[in-house]
Amino acid sequence: MFYVQQLLYAFLATVGFAVIFNSPKDTIIKSGFNGSMGWLAYLLTKGLTDSAIAGSFMGALVVGILGEIFAKVFKKPSTTFTISGIIPLVPGAGIYYTMLALTEKNFFSAADSGSETVLVSIALASGIIVSSSFNKAIMNHLSEKHRKKSIIEKSVIQK
Amino acid sequence: MGDSKIVKKSINMAMIAGRIMLESSAETYRVEDTIMRLCSTNRCVDYVDVFVIPTGIFLTIGYGDDAMTYIKRTTSKGINLNKISLVNDFSRSYINSTMTIEEAIEELNSIDNESGYSNFRQSLFGGFAGGFSALLFGGVFIDFIWAFIISMIVVYIKHVTLSKFSLIGFMKQFIVSAIGTILALLVVRFELALNLDMIIIGFIMPLVPGFIITNAARDTISGDFLAGLSRGSEAVISALSIASGVGIVLNYYYSYFL
Repeated sequence: MFYVQQLLYAFLATVGFAVIFNSPKDTIIKSGFNGSMGWLAYLLTKGLTDSAIAGSFMGALVVGILGEIFAKVFKKPSTTFTISGIIPLVPGAGIYYTMLALTEKNFFSAADSGSETVLVSIALASGIIVSSSFNKAIMNHLSEKHRKKSIIEKSVIQK
Repeated sequence: MGDSKIVKKSINMAMIAGRIMLESSAETYRVEDTIMRLCSTNRCVDYVDVFVIPTGIFLTIGYGDDAMTYIKRTTSKGINLNKISLVNDFSRSYINSTMTIEEAIEELNSIDNESGYSNFRQSLFGGFAGGFSALLFGGVFIDFIWAFIISMIVVYIKHVTLSKFSLIGFMKQFIVSAIGTILALLVVRFELALNLDMIIIGFIMPLVPGFIITNAARDTISGDFLAGLSRGSEAVISALSIASGVGIVLNYYYSYFL
């Protein structure tokens, strides 16, 4: 029940972000789905490893991979699906708790949550980097195969 | 002579496409690819080279014995994924069509004039985004309602009221997060809700620079380190401006009212 609730909240929040970013109308629901899958990956990894950083990495990875797949299937730029899906993972809570600790002059916990916030952002960026560089490698591989085929076909035609 | 006129027109067309994408904050490599694709379809063009940074486009086209270089300075107009996707579709369909350059420019201008979602709808969905983020981070129903209302107000102020003044983006975020924190403190002060944390986290989420982090990472892997670095620093400064907006108000509140 907890997971169902969380998935629903993540879906609706991502839909909200998609409208703020002026996403095309037919991609809003898909990016909402993408966001909820990313949040599920975040929750599961966080539950397993007890680390928000690993969770954010997995979440960003799932959002990135799903975004690339959606981009290929629906012929839209992959950012339209990725960007709104990644926002629930961004450490807004970390920013707030760091600032709160600073105002209370509690510098130890400020350093604690501040460094976690920075590391979570780095984990998000590296999740996106891994997913889209895999996508690039696969695309290059496929297009090379395709090119070789077309050269062969051409030479056959010329003969 | 005919060649140079056609080349000028096609540079003009490609520049409009590139400007629309860059103003809607597309990734650097996507803008470069689009301009390349649009220019190289022209028959009299022998050579195209394009260099894009987040604030400008440099484009050189070689034809016959001659070359032309255009420079375009752009300013970001916020995020508009719809325009990016429309220009992307347009550049794909343009290659396989028999569209003249004049028609292409007309279509690009109509894409440019496309007005996204209305302000009311944007702030309504901003409210959804903030409210459900509050629930995601462990808020209860009453937190959802207040986070929803405050996020709506915050997004409306950011998109409508503050866009009338020529403020830089960071200043907008600072002001908006300070206003949001004051509202959240008022709500908690009058005991309409209990969790100050959840309400503040809720309205922060529509402001956080997740978009910029994503774009910075994607720019960096495609080899545009300049764009990646500048967007990365933009993300850091915008997170700092949100944090200081919240922090300054909280600091005043804790030192004078508690």
